[in-house]
Amino acid sequence: MILELEELSHRYGTELAVDDVSFGLESGELVALLGPSGCGKTTIVQAVAGHVRPTAGRVVLRGDDVTDTPPESRRVGIVFQQPTLYPHMTVSENVAYGLAPRDIDPDRRDELVDEYLDLVALHEQRTAYPAELSGGQQRRVELARALAPQPDVLVLDEPLSALDRTLREQLRDEIARIQRETGVTTLFVTHDQEEAMALADRLVVMNDGQVAGVGQPRTLYESPPTPFVASFLGRSNTLSATVVDQHPLTITLGTHEIRLDGTARDFSAGTPVTCHIRPKDLSLRSSAAPGTTPSLPCDVVHVADLGRRYDVTVQSVTGDELVVEQSGNPPATGETITVVMPQDSIQLFGPEQQ
Amino acid sequence: MSLSRPPLSDYSRRTPELLLPAVLGGIVLLYFAIPFVAFLARTGMSNIVAGLSTPEAQVAIRNSLLTAPVSTAIATVFGVPLAYVLARTSFVGKRLVEALVILPLIVPPVVGGAMLLTAVGRFTPIGAAAAAVGISLTDSLLGVVLAQTFVAAPFVIITARAGFGAIDERLEQASRSLGYGPLSTFWNVSLPLARGAIVAGIVLTFARAIGEFGATMMVAYNPRTMPTRLWVDFIAGGIDAIVPMGLALLGITLVVLAAVQRLGRVPTVVDE
Repeated sequence: MILELEELSHRYGTELAVDDVSFGLESGELVALLGPSGCGKTTIVQAVAGHVRPTAGRVVLRGDDVTDTPPESRRVGIVFQQPTLYPHMTVSENVAYGLAPRDIDPDRRDELVDEYLDLVALHEQRTAYPAELSGGQQRRVELARALAPQPDVLVLDEPLSALDRTLREQLRDEIARIQRETGVTTLFVTHDQEEAMALADRLVVMNDGQVAGVGQPRTLYESPPTPFVASFLGRSNTLSATVVDQHPLTITLGTHEIRLDGTARDFSAGTPVTCHIRPKDLSLRSSAAPGTTPSLPCDVVHVADLGRRYDVTVQSVTGDELVVEQSGNPPATGETITVVMPQDSIQLFGPEQQ
Repeated sequence: MSLSRPPLSDYSRRTPELLLPAVLGGIVLLYFAIPFVAFLARTGMSNIVAGLSTPEAQVAIRNSLLTAPVSTAIATVFGVPLAYVLARTSFVGKRLVEALVILPLIVPPVVGGAMLLTAVGRFTPIGAAAAAVGISLTDSLLGVVLAQTFVAAPFVIITARAGFGAIDERLEQASRSLGYGPLSTFWNVSLPLARGAIVAGIVLTFARAIGEFGATMMVAYNPRTMPTRLWVDFIAGGIDAIVPMGLALLGITLVVLAAVQRLGRVPTVVDE
């Protein structure tokens, strides 16, 4: 492990911002720390970089406990959401800034500046001042500046959140390329699940100061360990149900009983459960003909045309609202229709997981 | 349902948006300008060179040129670090510290001078201890410096604090993560970025120090500085007697303002 957080907790006054968080980064890995704003991500960044002394727990870099080490003695490169280029220095002076305190001879220093400016394709702008660069160029200089001293870990704290969509996607690909080329161990902090899933080898999903799930993006998306992960990684419909039988597992949604043959979860009869189903997994059928797949009669409430697809909002007989993604042939508002939910797309969560 | 649209009022016909504030501001400007022009108009009636050539005037100019830069330097060297601490930390009793910084601005200079006398006067413990080793804290150039620093230092502290406060703390954090300790981060990042505000504060402090009268009069009526000389001459000879010294004081302040701003590459004092 290059970086390990061990049972990290941090309190601001009486407010617990980070609550017993542990995870680690392997060498060369790109891990995304994902969670809604206010979930404690930034506090973790600050603790890793050394700008915050955690209330409890340890930060370990390359096997050394650095919890009490000041930022300048750790080798953690950092890029914030807000631009932090030094306006009184040129692009190459900014990139060279982090090289001066390291024990590198001046000729090698110039070479390194050139190398890293080449890496972000900004060699032409080396004598420009940050104010003369576009937003995307400024981001790239920040990356070059953070990478030039060859840190053990690169921490990117919402580096794309202040940019517009097109630029964000461009830079996302560029970060992926730079990470591949340099092989730097990277902690990418974001609230954007799409960004996290597109970039990361592994996700650490956080909610309310705690880790809600750790794993590969696809695994977490397809079998989320908690309802929070299910709803935060992509859109999810939530339905309340009750278990009526264990073998085979049968739940009631209002008056409808649905058998879930494939589910291996153990719930005793009478347990209230929450079902999560992704809008893309649902489909619509006009006839109420009984089929083998679970289904629910619903009324169409609203149809939104999003170009690539339709989002059909329906209300089930149980009163729950569901969103169904439909690629064509949208139903009419007010129509009564059957929503088909494939068994293997239903995630069940018991009351202790709420 | 139809929402009725109210008719556009006559007010929305185009009148220059800044007319009213411009008129009000113009009145203040006029009030600033008239005494200035009136005073300058007096210059023809007196011989400036002769007025400044008397031995008394020479001594006063020398004393002011010695004391005001020293006071400004002291205020800057001790005030800028204080400003940085105030901009970057919060602690119990910070309000009290901030109130203390503003106190010399609020206290009338004469009262401030009286307070200084009660602290460092000849018969106080501090004053007596200094006198015992041959240093006079009152009625000396040192006394003038004490009075000027007391009254003028808040300007550089307050302005520099605003300058440091305007710097995103993350610029300093980035510098720390790039391998610089707190002191070299202050030197390489915070100080250059707050330079404009600090220079503005230095200019204001110098202008206040060289023009200081009230506190100086209480602490060190002698040796005379330009403002105390002005007072003595005014009592003896009226307005026309002080025009040369008044102009000289104004001139020095303007020259320092221009020079410091040229060095600091700051456009104007207030443009921060």
